[in-house]
Amino acid sequence: MDLFHDNPMFPAVRQMLGAFAKNMIRPIATKHDQEESMPWDLMKFAQGFGLTQTQVLDGRKQLTGQADESESDPSKPKTQARLGVVGAEELAYGCAGVCLAIGGSGLAGSPVARMGTDEQKAEFRKALSGRDAQGHIKVAAMALSEPATGSDISGLTTTATRDGNYWVLRGSKQWITNGQSASVYVVWAQTDPAAGRAGVRGFVVTRETPGLVPGRKEVKLGIRASETAQVHFEDCRVHQDMMLGVASAGGLSDTKKMLDSTRPAVGAQAVGIARAALEFVVDRVRSGTLHGTPMAAHQHLAFELAELEMEVAASRLMVHRAAWMADHHQDNVAFASMAKAHAARTAQTVTTRAMVLLGEEALMPGHPVEKWYRDAKIYDIFEGTGQIQRRIIAKHLTGVIAT
Amino acid sequence: MHVGTGGATLGLALAPAGCGCANAVPVAPNASANVIANFDTENFMLQRYHTGCRGGRARSRPFVTWLQQRNPLDLRYGTYMNFALDSEQEMIVATVRRFAEREVRGWAAAADASGVLPPKLTAAGTELGFFVDAVPASAGGMLDGAYNHLTRALRSYELGRGCAATAALFESNVEPALAVAQWGSPALQTALFTALANGAIATTVRDSTGTLQVHSDASGNGIRISGRIGPAPGLATASHVLLLAECEGAPIVAVLDLAASQARVEAITPSGWRYASWGVATLEHAHIDAEHMLGRGPLGQFATDWILAWHRTSLAARAAGVAAAAMEHAERYGNERFQFGQPVGNFESIIRLREDSQTAAASARLNALYAGWACDQLGATPSVTAVHNAWDAASRARIIACDAVSKATIDAVQIFGGYGFVADYPVEKLMRDARAFEALLGDERLERTLRARNLVNTALVHT
Repeated sequence: MDLFHDNPMFPAVRQMLGAFAKNMIRPIATKHDQEESMPWDLMKFAQGFGLTQTQVLDGRKQLTGQADESESDPSKPKTQARLGVVGAEELAYGCAGVCLAIGGSGLAGSPVARMGTDEQKAEFRKALSGRDAQGHIKVAAMALSEPATGSDISGLTTTATRDGNYWVLRGSKQWITNGQSASVYVVWAQTDPAAGRAGVRGFVVTRETPGLVPGRKEVKLGIRASETAQVHFEDCRVHQDMMLGVASAGGLSDTKKMLDSTRPAVGAQAVGIARAALEFVVDRVRSGTLHGTPMAAHQHLAFELAELEMEVAASRLMVHRAAWMADHHQDNVAFASMAKAHAARTAQTVTTRAMVLLGEEALMPGHPVEKWYRDAKIYDIFEGTGQIQRRIIAKHLTGVIAT
Repeated sequence: MHVGTGGATLGLALAPAGCGCANAVPVAPNASANVIANFDTENFMLQRYHTGCRGGRARSRPFVTWLQQRNPLDLRYGTYMNFALDSEQEMIVATVRRFAEREVRGWAAAADASGVLPPKLTAAGTELGFFVDAVPASAGGMLDGAYNHLTRALRSYELGRGCAATAALFESNVEPALAVAQWGSPALQTALFTALANGAIATTVRDSTGTLQVHSDASGNGIRISGRIGPAPGLATASHVLLLAECEGAPIVAVLDLAASQARVEAITPSGWRYASWGVATLEHAHIDAEHMLGRGPLGQFATDWILAWHRTSLAARAAGVAAAAMEHAERYGNERFQFGQPVGNFESIIRLREDSQTAAASARLNALYAGWACDQLGATPSVTAVHNAWDAASRARIIACDAVSKATIDAVQIFGGYGFVADYPVEKLMRDARAFEALLGDERLERTLRARNLVNTALVHT
């Protein structure tokens, strides 16, 4: 069963982005992986057909030409989550690093879209319009994780201290997508240590704000076309109007909900990697020979492919169901965690087994399967590690937080 | 072999699997190889079946005693491994461990980033005798008597704990030197040993999928080869290659002089073992004369199995070392890193990850050492069956070790979390390094499957 069969828009988007991935992303993926560089030209090209850096704020209209029906009638199912998983799988099928480079600003855009005032949204859009000093399109960064705070985001140590109409930010952020190149940041800081996680607030901070210091770019195992860097805040003064969540409850709980909502799309990226690796090795087995006999005639190889295909199909269905639940206004927190964790494991399994099946060939520099093997690992770490996902699922089952 | 902590030397010996006997007796590790050469496996199997090591009669006559009288060194059931290290092995382990921890690990990160082998590392390896330990002392090397594969496995494990790239290079010369000593002509021995004694590198390459084009030379003198060999560590700087391939359906073992064969060698830098001087070589009708052929047909198969037993033992031990290193880093980090108010390593899910990987690594180490011991029992003139059994032990050891290193390195990155994914910590390198262990010399499980089918087919033909 295809959970999306009732809406022809999804196959159309899948086809369009699939062609984009195959024809535009794949040819440059190795270069940007080896050079650890952002695909700026491709990101600019992608903006031209709707994959904009402000897409989260703009809705789906730029990509599909249609507004979401739920915008006019909130009782109707949305299409945003399903559209997200369809697109994410296709883009990551091309290259997960490039996919994250194209969509990285969405991480910062989500809390602005969710909690931002009209003024903040306008500021965010303005900061992303035009070109930066290098002539690149402008990108945004979500600055949440810290050197001592990975999975435990409630323990943030970056502080925001009130000073008249301003908040003064002090601290450092780690593993920040677009951290070095961003033109605007959404920074999370503790405004009231005594209040714990309720005191955490987000701030929209433009790059030129004094005291905002982009830090060192990380050398990573995978997703190297996506920039990851440290960001430092040294007495960085931000106007109080740029604090998110003033009108709503705001704070970290909203941020956690936002992270919950992105998990189906993140899982879909892992499915895209797994599918890419599986397709590669299937092609090799279909066309290859082993000591003069067709590879495909060997159960040893053919059945292994069958096992991997089952895993990929199962992961995709779980991701699709999690997205479908979100679009139909159902609580999908536990299922989204299951989908993301399962897809991450599938991506690692498939890429690892693909490397074994390909043998020495996969050791050659620039081999795509070796790159996908390195890319796949991040899906069990970022946006909630595999352990965090299991904690959520287990709590859903037992009602107890297991330690 | 040394087991346990606190310096206790246990001197254990194990009973054969399934015999139910507790009175195992250690066997001298250097017992005569002729026993193996003369051993009749099929008859042994029949006897074993009729006397019933699983049945009551075996208990009235201690199976181990019976087995030792018949054949003290059967490798398939020969579980008389002496777990005590001798003083030389203890010294070697301590020396290599110190070298790996203090020197190799310190240099590995920078060398991995640059992809270039540090000259000081080569110099240290030379000083410690790694490159010539399989070259006879009479030819300028360090080998005096039989080569000890158990000691090599112990050493490989420690090198693997330091860095897989260093280990690959330091181990590279062993198989070519041993193979040429075993089957090479005096002239070939002189040529290779002289080169290795003067600092040259040799490496081993296998055409595991049969894609090389290998034909008998029209002159009747040797063979001609076309195609690409590699990627292989050491190949970019090697003077000689020990080549395992097939010629017209028959296994061959040959030594390729890269300069003489006019091979086009290209240096490459893969993602794992980055500074191990990787290369690929393209051959166009390269001629290997009879002088450089070590085995062809049945002898080729025999030599291939024997060489693979050596090589896979080393690969398995190195992989076990990398797996152990990954867990050492993960354990240390888990104690230092706090999340949710406690050390990450204190979470039960993380403990389980670590425990499973450490169990796998420990099992891999023991299997690699057993394979090394099995190789040592072959002596100079083993039977085909004995060599096959050593191959079998090494092959299984490699499967276990590759599974362990794959799991341990991935789990180590997981335990490090975001820091595991960046180059500031060593585990992302270990995860890249893990892959070559499984890729080199072919897929072990696939080979076992193919061999099993061939054996079945052969038996049917004979029936």
